[in-house]
Amino acid sequence: MSSLAAHYFDGQHARRHEVTLVLSGGMMKIVGREVDAEFEARRVRISTRIAAAPRWIYLPGGGACVTEDNEGVDRLVRERATQRVLHRLEAHPGFAVLAVALVAALFWVIVDRALPFAAARVAEHIPMEAEATLGREALAGMDQFWLQPSQLAPEERTALAGKLESLAALAGEAPGYRLEFRASPVIGANAFALPSGIIVLTDELVKLAQADEEVLAVLAHELGHVRHRHVMRRLLEGSAIALLVAGVTGDVASATSLAAAAPTLVLQTKFSRDNEREADAYAIELLRRAGIAPHHFGAILARMEAQAPRGPMLPSFLSTHPATEERKALSGEH
Amino acid sequence: MRPEFRGSVPEYFRIWIVNLLFTLLTLGVYSAWAKVRKQRYLYGNTRLDGDSFNYFASARAILKGRILAVIVFFAYALLTELYPLSLWAFLAAGLLLLPLILVRALRFNARMSAWRGLRFDFPARVRDALPLYLGMPLLVVATLGLAFPWFISKHKQFVISHHAFGISPLGCSMPVGKVYGIYFRAGLIIAGMSVVAILGTAMVSPVVVLLPQAGWLAFLLPVLAIYIAYAFAYAYLQARITNLAWQSTYGAGVRFSSTLGAIDLAGLYISNLLAIVFTAGLAVPWAVVRTLRYRVENFTMLVSEEVVHEASPELLNISATGQELGEIFNVNFGV
Repeated sequence: MSSLAAHYFDGQHARRHEVTLVLSGGMMKIVGREVDAEFEARRVRISTRIAAAPRWIYLPGGGACVTEDNEGVDRLVRERATQRVLHRLEAHPGFAVLAVALVAALFWVIVDRALPFAAARVAEHIPMEAEATLGREALAGMDQFWLQPSQLAPEERTALAGKLESLAALAGEAPGYRLEFRASPVIGANAFALPSGIIVLTDELVKLAQADEEVLAVLAHELGHVRHRHVMRRLLEGSAIALLVAGVTGDVASATSLAAAAPTLVLQTKFSRDNEREADAYAIELLRRAGIAPHHFGAILARMEAQAPRGPMLPSFLSTHPATEERKALSGEH
Repeated sequence: MRPEFRGSVPEYFRIWIVNLLFTLLTLGVYSAWAKVRKQRYLYGNTRLDGDSFNYFASARAILKGRILAVIVFFAYALLTELYPLSLWAFLAAGLLLLPLILVRALRFNARMSAWRGLRFDFPARVRDALPLYLGMPLLVVATLGLAFPWFISKHKQFVISHHAFGISPLGCSMPVGKVYGIYFRAGLIIAGMSVVAILGTAMVSPVVVLLPQAGWLAFLLPVLAIYIAYAFAYAYLQARITNLAWQSTYGAGVRFSSTLGAIDLAGLYISNLLAIVFTAGLAVPWAVVRTLRYRVENFTMLVSEEVVHEASPELLNISATGQELGEIFNVNFGV
């Protein structure tokens, strides 16, 4: 026979009764000044133990007892093994330290491996046509503000488009891309991949290049973005990261907006750098297959950087592209 | 009588980190159980007149809601990006569903909370919420936001006065004029602090010109200054509106008083934010505990006569969906 002190509430009135709980012979007795009740012990439900929070003993018929004597409750009724383990883990300072390390490691695995992998698999299954509206509007928006019609001779354009086509054919599964020529004094020498496989090439880049191979090298990089569905993956990864960060900081409603925005930004620029690296690797592989020396890629990148108007310097963890030095080394340029 | 919070940061930290670990290991599935355990710790350690609160929600109900919420979230994130026009469809659906989500979320939360063995309740029906939440947004837009403080006072009043402890209802009548005064002063705070922020940024800019490596500061400083102004105005609104709402609330034999301070609250928000950012999130449990403790310690229940509150006879089962949908889109209906 064992007993413990508790407070009893009948579930009908918010009135507290001091009682003693007694367990004997499969029956739970509740005895107090105004209470005298008895229940079959197996029909009584006991709340799981969480740190030193009071334990609730729910009785058939809607009444309940509450007690701070957690040890007493555990002596009275043995908790299920999983619950006992959970409580012990939550109470152990050593395990908390281990959990911090495990959480950090898991976070890294999820962000660096699992999430990009899953996003790539999902993106493969979403048809490129899904991006059509987005691509059309992105190009229209850029045309309105930054781009002008290309001034290149039609023959030159056809020649470049033909060379890109045979380069893309080497990739085996030809990605569905669309090459657009534009002039842009504002943006300068550049090329970029827009949603739905639109690749924009500026006249300024063609002029800056000392050989067609250099233009092709940059276009191969943009093809890499298209082939690896970076637009769709950025969307998927961005949403998943927002969810992950909200899951960690969501408990503090007041701080979430900015506390969640800062890590989300840092993680998204990390994905962006990873995508650039992937596109670089794709370009160099494609150039090799086409028999174009990869150093053309490093050469044009260096010239683009030298020519680009220098923006404010960002620390590397906030930059969307890997450092040009790193990219030149990759293409064998020293 | 004042409630008190007896939880401790180390204790809550241990619970938080273990539950976060399991949540990551199960790719989020455990988050529902984690939520229940964390809530039960926080409720169980909050006492009013010697008795703790109790949280009943079942993890399964919360999990169902969370799965639905994650699906809606991904659909929203992808579709609004791919088809920008679909944003209007989502906004319209959100606006139309707001009364339903709000009522169900508040009802779920109320019924899952108890004190002295008696559950709270939110017996409002969805149709009670329709005129306010469908009509008011239109009025707010039509008046270019001038009706917003009025909407907020009606919203607080709706939420509080439909709450009940057992069958004892709460009543609330917010003086609209005072709410306008609070919003006006919050506007002054934003305007005043923006001027200070702009002047401060202008004073720093020569440094940025001299040191191009510090160029990113030029982005960060205005953002930071605006955030601080925003945090102060937000804290001011929170503190004053909450205080006013509780002052205007009455129940059977009770009145309430709330003494939140705008500067205290702003300090709390900003220090929470800094601590969370600089500890990569490890300070979240600390932030939760100190915020809850501050809120609890600034709340008073004034009992004028002893009333024994009685239970509501019909307490039906209700799914957690409403609540969790509200939670994921960061809709905070609380007072």
